[in-house]
Amino acid sequence: MAFFRGEQGSVKFDDAGVSAAAITSTRSWSMTVEKDVLETTSLGATYKANVGGLIAGSGTVEVLYTASSSDETNVFIEAANTATDAGIASFELFLDTTGTKKITFVGLITSAEYSATVGELEVITCNFVTSGAIILSI
Amino acid sequence: MAAANLNTIRATIEQLLANEFNSLFDSIPSIDAIVSIDDSNDPGLPTVYPVVFNNVPYAPTPNSTWVQCQLNFGNNNYLTMGGTTGVSNSIIGIILVNIFTPKGAGAGANFTIGKRVRDVYNRSKVSGVIFDAPTGPEVMAPPSPEGYFQTQVRLTFETFEDL
Repeated sequence: MAFFRGEQGSVKFDDAGVSAAAITSTRSWSMTVEKDVLETTSLGATYKANVGGLIAGSGTVEVLYTASSSDETNVFIEAANTATDAGIASFELFLDTTGTKKITFVGLITSAEYSATVGELEVITCNFVTSGAIILSI
Repeated sequence: MAAANLNTIRATIEQLLANEFNSLFDSIPSIDAIVSIDDSNDPGLPTVYPVVFNNVPYAPTPNSTWVQCQLNFGNNNYLTMGGTTGVSNSIIGIILVNIFTPKGAGAGANFTIGKRVRDVYNRSKVSGVIFDAPTGPEVMAPPSPEGYFQTQVRLTFETFEDL
């Protein structure tokens, strides 16, 4: 049985949505895929009934600050501050190092938290939401 | 980049202390040795003391002043995601510096040396090694070895390994 550890993961991103490049110094990522629930319970029924509705995803990527510039990592950590965002950025969240186990989607960065704490590495936390289909190749 | 060379890191850290207490020497070919002269007849030179590093035999003279430096590498942690290239690890270690001064002569001389030890490393960054704020000098009772007044300055350091 194969198990995986977090360090085998990685993140790729491209704000233009063309060719995703690796985000260096990624410390962690997480993503939640949520489905709306529509209740279809009939009048007089004893138990509730539901059907699935629209699907959306959101999540977080933690990046260690490295003062990188002119690369996709720099674009990634500054994406929340863009004046207009068409929501066309491509994301690839990898679960292993082979590059085949991943979650692919188009989305946008909605917020970024920049932090510095004495004695600790400086971390930037970027939150994202999906826009359109989510492809699970896991 | 390559994996961190722990021996180079060790030498870098020990060299800083050796430079402070063995100022008669511009460079020390091998830190794996005791190199010091306490020349009290030359007031133009800073006071130097024997500095003993890990695994170096040393028989201290009774009622003398000397410094012992013990360096240990501790926790290694993942820093970033990825495979075996283009990723980073954290290497954390600790430096223990024991300061021995003559027994029954008060604490002043010992604490003066302690300040010099602290000043060597205090919040500095040398060759990619980041030194944290030191703790001490803390009086160690009973001293080891016996027959001295002993204090200890200790601090952690961190360096990053880029693969």
